[in-house]
Order: sequence, then structure tokens, then C-alpha cells
Amino acid sequence: MTAWLFAAVCLLIGLVPCGLVCLRGTPMERLVGLELAGTVDTLIFLSLAEGFHQAIFFDLALVLAILSFAGGLVFVRFLERWL
Amino acid sequence: MTASDAIAWTLLAVGTAATLLSCLGVLVMPNVFDRLHYTAPASTVGALGIALSIVVEEGWAAASVKAMLIFVLLVTTNPVLTHATARAARVRQFGHWVALRAERVEDPEAAP
Repeated sequence: MTAWLFAAVCLLIGLVPCGLVCLRGTPMERLVGLELAGTVDTLIFLSLAEGFHQAIFFDLALVLAILSFAGGLVFVRFLERWL
Repeated sequence: MTASDAIAWTLLAVGTAATLLSCLGVLVMPNVFDRLHYTAPASTVGALGIALSIVVEEGWAAASVKAMLIFVLLVTTNPVLTHATARAARVRQFGHWVALRAERVEDPEAAP
């Protein structure tokens, strides 16, 4: 088990607080938990790609970074206007 | 264990610790605006630590270029998302985005 796989497991533990924030509070607070979870997910994919030594896996983290940003903006627009 | 391994592992540990602490901060803080502050360390210090550790380990390779690209992407998009979220939270609270009269910062240069 390399250091990067161990770091990925540690970062997975960090998703638990994000999930707890998503389960409680106002809709905006839950959205903050979701945004942080997107960032942490990107870092987990980055660590896993290095841990498995597969250059193609880095594209997964790249796509997730872009899509979590776009998804967050869509949620923000929706919560601001209609909900 | 070589010196570059030690540097890479130290950077990785710093990045992981910063990310975990920011997750804890988001859980502990009481309201939206306080929680929003704690999303920043994960995408700046956390992403920089992990991306730099990959660069130190791999040298000039496709993997390190992609890692730095992901770091740049996270650093540029996260402030935009944070600002948009704070703006939406304020619009939900007050119905508009304009500063209230009581919140206006007094200009110290202005005549009384």
C-alpha cells in the first residue's frame, strides 16, 4: 500500500463530515457540504490515480473538477431563484 | 527512502491534513457564511500539497502536468463558486444583494 493510497483512504474519512453537513441544516448549508465533497472527491481521485500509477486516471479527476464546479453553479442558480 | 520520497510524503501529509481539517471546520461552524470559509483550504492548501507531491514523485511526466492542471482549475473555480453561494444565501435571506444601510462601512476620510 503506497502513501497515495493511504492518503486516499484518509480523505475518504473526510467525506463523512461533508455527508453530515448535507443531512442537516438549511438548503444553503447542505449545498456548502456538497461543494466541499466535490473538492474532496477530486483530491481522492488524484491520490488514487497516483497510487495506481495510471496516467489515464488523472482525466477522471480533471473531469470531476470541471463538472462539480458547473453543477454547483446550477444548484446555486436554482436555490437563489426558485426554492 | 530517498530525499525526494520524504519531500513528496511530507507534502502529501500536509495536503491531506489541511483537507481533513477543512471538512471538520465545515461540520463545526454554525451558519452558511462561516461554513463557506472552510471550503477554501481544501482547494488551495490541500490541492497544492497533493499536486506538488505528485510532481516531486513523477518529475516531468504527463501525470504531473495533469495534477498541476487540476490544481489550477480548483484554485480558479472555487472562489467563483464560493462567491456565488454566498450571494445566493444573501439573496435568500434579504430578497436582494444590495448592502443594507446599517452595514455600510463609514469612510474615515469623509467629512463628519
